[in-house]
Amino acid sequence: MSERTTTVRNETKSQPDLTKGGTSSVGDVVITHEDIDRAHDRERVWNTRQHPGLGSRLRLLWLLIGPGVLVMLGENDGPSMLSYAATGARFGIGFFLPFVVLTFLLACIVQEMTVRLGAATHRGHAELIFDRFGPFWGWFSMIDLALGNFLTLVTEFIAVRAGLGFFGIPPAIAVLGALLVLFVALMTHRYWTWERITLGAAAFNLLFVPVALLTGPHWESIGRALLLWRPLPGGITGDMVLILLANIGATVTPWMLFFQQSAIADKGLTTRDIRYGRFDTVLGAALATLAALATMVATAPLFTRHMSAANFEAAEFAQALLPIVGHWGAALFALGIFEAGMVAAVTISISSAYAFGEVARRPHSLNLPFRQGKSFYLVLLLEAGAAGALVLIPGIPLVYIVLVVNVIAVLAMPPALLFLYMLVNDREIMGDLVSPWWANALTLAVVFVLISAGVLFGVSVIAPNVLAGIGGR
Amino acid sequence: MEERLERATRSPKPDDLTTVITSLEPDQLSTAKAQYQCPRRRLTTMEVVLFWSLRIYLIFMVGVVVFQIWENVH
Repeated sequence: MSERTTTVRNETKSQPDLTKGGTSSVGDVVITHEDIDRAHDRERVWNTRQHPGLGSRLRLLWLLIGPGVLVMLGENDGPSMLSYAATGARFGIGFFLPFVVLTFLLACIVQEMTVRLGAATHRGHAELIFDRFGPFWGWFSMIDLALGNFLTLVTEFIAVRAGLGFFGIPPAIAVLGALLVLFVALMTHRYWTWERITLGAAAFNLLFVPVALLTGPHWESIGRALLLWRPLPGGITGDMVLILLANIGATVTPWMLFFQQSAIADKGLTTRDIRYGRFDTVLGAALATLAALATMVATAPLFTRHMSAANFEAAEFAQALLPIVGHWGAALFALGIFEAGMVAAVTISISSAYAFGEVARRPHSLNLPFRQGKSFYLVLLLEAGAAGALVLIPGIPLVYIVLVVNVIAVLAMPPALLFLYMLVNDREIMGDLVSPWWANALTLAVVFVLISAGVLFGVSVIAPNVLAGIGGR
Repeated sequence: MEERLERATRSPKPDDLTTVITSLEPDQLSTAKAQYQCPRRRLTTMEVVLFWSLRIYLIFMVGVVVFQIWENVH
């Protein structure tokens, strides 16, 4: 025991001591169920580290991956996949394939910072913002998150409804079924089990790959699109700007920052695990990029048919693809849309619950039994329930909600990134893990891209004629 | 304190306690996190200006989104 304790203490030497002035030993604080579950997870990591070799490294990877893959595949959510589908159908692949690869690179840059923050401080994003910047700025950040998350959750249930609608399942049954799945996933009361179940479900995001293959893609065109990055067909138009923003909003959004950092703290990652946390994020981005590109390639044959995302209820894309990919292909596409909405509904509602718990100083962990984490689970289920109910209101403009949600996500990112930028450069909490200059330069470049996209959107709405002056129609 | 005690596991096994002590870093314990907050940092004028600029940008752009929805609905 003493040898292991020494090892653990040595690992923590280089990081800031957030409990400074408080307990000097574990014996001074109350041990909770949450701590015991997390400790068992960490014990497995520690045991695996004692064995050298490739097998041990792979097992370590298996134990430590999760938040990065989940956040990236979770962000390949209902509105994102519908945006990619609309992009392929309306603009083809020439411009947007490399553009989407670029947006996932932006997401990697941003999410890597949350890995370091979570591992170094063991605290969630909302908690750090409140502690370091005070409640005034903290509440602004929470309002952005709560509003964005709720609207996004609504779109996830739109996707659930659309995906299952293809199989003739009535909207009310689809929404209730999704809520039941969400409830069952949470009843494990164990972060590790929940994470593995959700990872398994998130793997179905790759259903879009076989659909793309069924369309008989022209590999030479795809290779050329990725290497040459052709200009947009038709130049810059209001529609194109909306799709451009929707695609950016499909990869970088505020909830991702809150979710990954909180999940890393809940999982118990430490500074020694940062390398694996980075790999987890890049792996998630690679899988999500593959699914996104596959979706665009799958709907690209509809390019000449001027498809639009105007009728989600009837799962229009899946039906439009029927003559091209057959019944099984279309069914896979609809199932993919359902999965995208379902997994994102789980991760987004959990990001809200984490943030609420951190700000309200209430217990917030997926390791908590329901009795001990009532407020955590209730926030999560109530938010999901309200979003699901909204989708069932007859006549609600689902299309606008889907488009607006991704746009709002892009617009809300620069303020969220400023908090992240300042936290990750805060030597008092990060110690030697502050961002190097090149990472800061990349982050500022991301902020510049996001603000530019927002301004372009503003111009396209307020003064559409100006777009004609800069090469549009 | 009562809440902390309520959250405490009723009958922790000796093995569990050993695992917690040896496997978790001190600031990973949930009660330690609940007890000790990171100290507030003092914002510089430049940082406050940046915060407000981005806040105004966001409010303005949300107004643009609302305007676009209103325009499309009508």
